[in-house]
Amino acid sequence: MTLLKTTFTKGATIALLAGATALSSVSAQAATPMAGETLAADQTYTYRMLDGIPSLDPQIVEDVTGSEIIRDLFEGLTNQDAKGNLIPGVAMSWEASEGNTVYTFNLRKDSKWSNGETVTAGDFVYAWRRAVDPATGSPYSWYMDIMSIVNGADIIAGDKEPSELGVVALDDFTLQVTLTKALPYFADMTAHATTFPTHQATIEKHGSEWTKPENMVGNGAYTLTEWKLKETTTRVRNPLYWDDANTILDKVVTLVISDENVAFTRYKAGEMDRTAVPTGQYPDLAISMPDETFKFPRLCTYYYVFNVSDSAPEAFKDVRVRKALSYAMDRDVIVEKVTKGGQIPAYTYTPGATAGFKVPSVPYGEWSQAERDAKAVELLAEAGYGSDNPLTFELLYNTSEGHKKIAIAVAAMWKQKLGVEATLANEEWKTFLETRNTQSFSIARSGWCGDYNEASTFLDLFDSKHGNNDGLYSNPAYDKEVRAASSSANANAHYTTAEQILADEMPLIPVYHYTGVVMLKPSLKGYPIENVMLKTYSKDMYKIEVK
Amino acid sequence: MLKFIIVRFLSSIPTLLLLIIVSFVLMHLAPGGPFTSEKELPPEVLANINAKYGLDKSWPEQLWNYITSIIFHFDFGPSFKYKDISVNDIIAQGFPITMTYGLWSFFVATTVGIALGITAAVKHNTWIDYFAVGVSIGAQVLPNFIMAPILIIIFTLWLDLLPGGGWNNGAWQNIILPVIALSTSFMASIARLTRGSMLEVLNSNFIRTAKAKGLPARTIIFRHAIKPALLPIMSYLGPAFVGMISGSVVIDIYFSTGGMGQFFVEAALSRDYSLLMGVTILFGVLTIIFSAVVDILYAWLDPKIKL
Repeated sequence: MTLLKTTFTKGATIALLAGATALSSVSAQAATPMAGETLAADQTYTYRMLDGIPSLDPQIVEDVTGSEIIRDLFEGLTNQDAKGNLIPGVAMSWEASEGNTVYTFNLRKDSKWSNGETVTAGDFVYAWRRAVDPATGSPYSWYMDIMSIVNGADIIAGDKEPSELGVVALDDFTLQVTLTKALPYFADMTAHATTFPTHQATIEKHGSEWTKPENMVGNGAYTLTEWKLKETTTRVRNPLYWDDANTILDKVVTLVISDENVAFTRYKAGEMDRTAVPTGQYPDLAISMPDETFKFPRLCTYYYVFNVSDSAPEAFKDVRVRKALSYAMDRDVIVEKVTKGGQIPAYTYTPGATAGFKVPSVPYGEWSQAERDAKAVELLAEAGYGSDNPLTFELLYNTSEGHKKIAIAVAAMWKQKLGVEATLANEEWKTFLETRNTQSFSIARSGWCGDYNEASTFLDLFDSKHGNNDGLYSNPAYDKEVRAASSSANANAHYTTAEQILADEMPLIPVYHYTGVVMLKPSLKGYPIENVMLKTYSKDMYKIEVK
Repeated sequence: MLKFIIVRFLSSIPTLLLLIIVSFVLMHLAPGGPFTSEKELPPEVLANINAKYGLDKSWPEQLWNYITSIIFHFDFGPSFKYKDISVNDIIAQGFPITMTYGLWSFFVATTVGIALGITAAVKHNTWIDYFAVGVSIGAQVLPNFIMAPILIIIFTLWLDLLPGGGWNNGAWQNIILPVIALSTSFMASIARLTRGSMLEVLNSNFIRTAKAKGLPARTIIFRHAIKPALLPIMSYLGPAFVGMISGSVVIDIYFSTGGMGQFFVEAALSRDYSLLMGVTILFGVLTIIFSAVVDILYAWLDPKIKL
């Protein structure tokens, strides 16, 4: 692959995305009601949030809920459609040259800030420099680092000036980015909030208070009108947004409700259009409220990680022990009887929903549970553990009812099938992180959600150099595969090998791949249930009358 | 009296300083920090953030900066978790809310509680007494984290009368459910305390004298019995008042009121040092002020105490 050209023209976009819908639409993606649907008079979309939002600053935000609001208030170079495909945002088209190391984005001329000014390439340059500037102190500056922009890492480390970042405005509407290595999925990464433009004059005038509703200047389809930390936020339609003509929802309200059962009660009382399915209730609700209960795959994996560092228990240095524990875990029982949220049993690490990733077949994933159990008993006996010399260790998880239930089930399976004595231990979240991070554990519960839709966001984790490789797994062959993948035309082949190495060495026990479960009122349309990154855009949703 | 107030005020300063230092040290001793997370930050990124929030300095220096910025600028610093918002903003937004539903709860709990207690004592061993005792025991054993979701199911889902949560700038519809949930158990305690102490007073000699003089029952109760009967309740009301106006985790979580109650636990769990300190100091000051107020009221009610 020498030149990746991804040019979208308005016509092509419509043909591509809207299929047979009317050609009068000139938007890249917008709310498009179907024939026979009557729009509701009140176009207010209300949904529940678990907690107050830590930040509405695109360069600082870390969490999913904050990003969801920011995608409405700001618009980056690219967006995603309902299926997660990349579509134009402020950039109308882009092309990669020099073997995927130089990206040039052509910006639309009609994108406006909410104060009326035009959004220019310079605004992106400002925002990107701000993201890596040590003075900003952004917890997500590492995202710019993995985007591999020239000098990014050095600026974060304080060795170079932010102005030396490899991003330039060739003119007001042309942005050019230079990378340190070929990155075929670079454009996809620009749909992430960290890369969204921010308004320099506003930030310089108001400092850390610039995100208050009365100060904020954004370029998204909505503007923020109210932000009460632990209660609510309100955003209303921005008439200056370039595609406002095709936007339907007038107002989006979030309600902070910490308790999921109270949230569900209020959802049933009609106070909201969207809330989470209360834990464990998915199977029942899927039957009693089938039109409102939805399940979708997520880019997250739940797993147990073995400590395989020097401080590890001797037993876990033996691959036969690790395999035996993994084989004896009946994942079907866990997802069907314990978690009950429609999760997908996992035998490999990367979720199958990841773009361009094909879940490789690993032998033990193909066996029946009886075969796995038999093999587990055999392996553990070979390793020298049995009734005369029982294997004992501590299973650590962070304090939570859900994790506890799983741990109890798993410990019981090990005890029953292998005679293994696993003691359960739980720690409060921050203490737990410290323990896990310093390898003061034997086997610990872990979970990982992809930062971007590409397998490396998962598989890089077991690279011997990765900061989140909590068990300190180290295998040069594995490192070679995942590092080769990033610049390879056939990354999937490397990922398959990497997954096979993991299954063969078992530094972790994959338990399940998460699914999201959500309640949606039948009147709400356009919620992107098929977008695995959950990149929602209120401008693409609308509400209809329901008889 | 004035001297008492001044001494009381001055003696609270070392208490407060001690509170700040102890909380600061305990907080920093807890494992982890505000910026540890599932996705561990690269060391250079963490270093930038620590520098931004002054966490790269030594403990004594951090503590000194913290105390001086409070004293000279009345600035509690930025929240580490809610990065766009300062602790001052969080308190300014949350405390009036907590205060509002707390004061209402206090008002409801004391008026209903005292009325119930007095009635029960005066009508001792009648069905009214049994009813009042039954109600207050029932109210006390029903914890508010059970009552809150039940109230929402009844008033929001079934009857569709009141919103299930939110604050809505303190609209009365939004205040009712939190006040019921918060005041009930306080009300029950006050009723039982009042009943007990009223019974004791009603059986005392001076009341017997009043009865013998032929005073009407109304005068006996409201003029002679109430004041001494309320004394033991006063010492309960002080902490109860602080308890109510400093909010409740349960109320804030179940009714999404946005008050201060939830921040204490949350700030501790997320190691939001500055928020935790701010909340600790706020509640510390409130506790000190209202225990002083109770002392003063005590002196006013009980002529045996001279300040």
